Amino acid sequence: MQIKTQKPAMEVKGLSFSYGSHKILKGASLEIEKGKVTTIMGANGCGKSTLFSLMTKNLIPMHGKIMLNGKNIQHMQLSEFARKVSIVHQYNTSSDDITVERLVGYGRTPHMKFFSGYSQEDTRLIEWAMEVTNITKYRGREVSKLSGGQRQRVWIAMAVAQNTKILFLDEPTTYLDIRYQIEILKLVQKLNREYGITIVMVLHDINQAIHYSDKIIGLADGRVMVEGDPREVISTESIQKLYGIDLGVTEIEGKKIVLTV
Amino acid sequence: MKRINLGRGQDSQNAEWLDDGRRKKKKGARAIASFLSIAVLLILLFFAAINIGSLQVGFVELLKGLFVAYDPDVATIWDLRFPRIIISMLAGAGIAVSGVLFQAVLKNPLADPGIIGISSGASFAAVLITAFAPGWYFFTPLVAFMGGVAAFLMVYCLSWKGGLNPLRIILTGVAVDALFSGLASAFHSMSGGDMSGVASIVEANITQKTWDDVATLFPYIVAGLFLAMVFIGECNLLSLEDKTARSLGVNVNATRICISLVAVLLASISTAIAGAISFLGLIVPHIGRILVGSDHKALVPFSALAGAFTFLLADTIGRTIATPYEVSAAVIMSVVGGPFFIILLRRSKKYAN
Repeated sequence: MQIKTQKPAMEVKGLSFSYGSHKILKGASLEIEKGKVTTIMGANGCGKSTLFSLMTKNLIPMHGKIMLNGKNIQHMQLSEFARKVSIVHQYNTSSDDITVERLVGYGRTPHMKFFSGYSQEDTRLIEWAMEVTNITKYRGREVSKLSGGQRQRVWIAMAVAQNTKILFLDEPTTYLDIRYQIEILKLVQKLNREYGITIVMVLHDINQAIHYSDKIIGLADGRVMVEGDPREVISTESIQKLYGIDLGVTEIEGKKIVLTV
Repeated sequence: MKRINLGRGQDSQNAEWLDDGRRKKKKGARAIASFLSIAVLLILLFFAAINIGSLQVGFVELLKGLFVAYDPDVATIWDLRFPRIIISMLAGAGIAVSGVLFQAVLKNPLADPGIIGISSGASFAAVLITAFAPGWYFFTPLVAFMGGVAAFLMVYCLSWKGGLNPLRIILTGVAVDALFSGLASAFHSMSGGDMSGVASIVEANITQKTWDDVATLFPYIVAGLFLAMVFIGECNLLSLEDKTARSLGVNVNATRICISLVAVLLASISTAIAGAISFLGLIVPHIGRILVGSDHKALVPFSALAGAFTFLLADTIGRTIATPYEVSAAVIMSVVGGPFFIILLRRSKKYAN
């Protein structure tokens, strides 16, 4: 009997969801592997946002289940879930005068007890989160005074301060210039490689998804159509399946490049 | 002054850090100064208010009359002026903190228990019980609270359309407010306008208040302010997007309901005793944010103090501005608050469209 090397960090089984009579997900199943970067991609309306919401406990599945370390997340308290999974949402707001340090400190919320201040461990993790995301130098500044790229790093730092094994990011590069897009993706890569955090993200850009991911999950019409190592699964055919358009695929230094023009 | 050249980039960055530090210190100092000033102002106003009016006694006489020997003047002041001063302060603190909580829950700096109809819902309920079951006077706060909850549910449900739009809340609130204050006035007129209990609520008149009213108001306000302090962390987290707050393990909807109930409690009880006051819950937190910042840890206690001060100031001005006649604090607040509200509306870019 073959022994599986490692249990998946998260397992999605036969997931269905619909808004009214409009079916968004039609029995999607997939696995998120521990210590890897997994990117969910697909055309507009393929169900990737819905899948993301379901996997982050913002929606309740109609059929199927999502298992985290063998436990159905539907039966988990929000605070318990927040101690195991951190999430960076696409759109964020804060009060105008909150400082970077205070905001990153909010990441400790799920670990704190009622009526207690930050413990030594909390302070250490807040410092660490700011260090890793390279925002320590802005710690005393108001978040509203930062640029878009810096602000995104603050939101990532808040999630990092949660100190979870899995980090979800919903299109972390939208609204950013290309330079900051790459900066954020490199930061995500660093969190994965240096700190072993399992990453699950939704990305819009096909090539960025291919370049920064160990695993691609391609959705089309509410089902998983493509799943696996981008070096193996990306081809003109699979892109056609996902996006309904014929695009050339080439290879540079062992990495696939989709010619998106 | 000697300057070490570190290269331009680094130099300007250092300057920025220094700036951050300096700004932070300045803000901290301003917050402390604001707390001290409002506390001192409140104490001064308290003593001034005791001594403003047709009956005046010296400070020494006052202390003597209160603690040493009976003095008819001091006794009159104690029975007539003290209750209304204390009620002004309690109700002012309650309404201002209620405003802070509503603004946090509805994510809307323009939310005010008076404007969005909570106060008039509570006052209508209080009017009903005062008119129909005066013997149930003891339950007035509870009934007013239920009226406030009903008004809040109406505003919340009617303005919910896949989310809470700040402007829609205000518009719905204005309509709910008009409905309930209309009902209360209609009732007041239909009863011939001669039921003093009803009139005092409808006209927000606190002239006839006694120590019994203080005793009714006090425990609820203290409990409400205590609960508000319990929820400061949650109020801060509600300033994030709902999804983000959820990702930190906060049950956003349950938290909203709890904080709303505290806000409704504070506004309703204050209204039941002191009448419906508009704009107080709007102006005080707004100034508080400028002076001590939007962290609720400072904003809630500051608003309590500043609310007590503002209401007492309005009441004191109201009873001296046209002696022997009295202008109610609610009227003063409306006259000052209306223009203030318009300025806020015009200045805030968020609500322009």
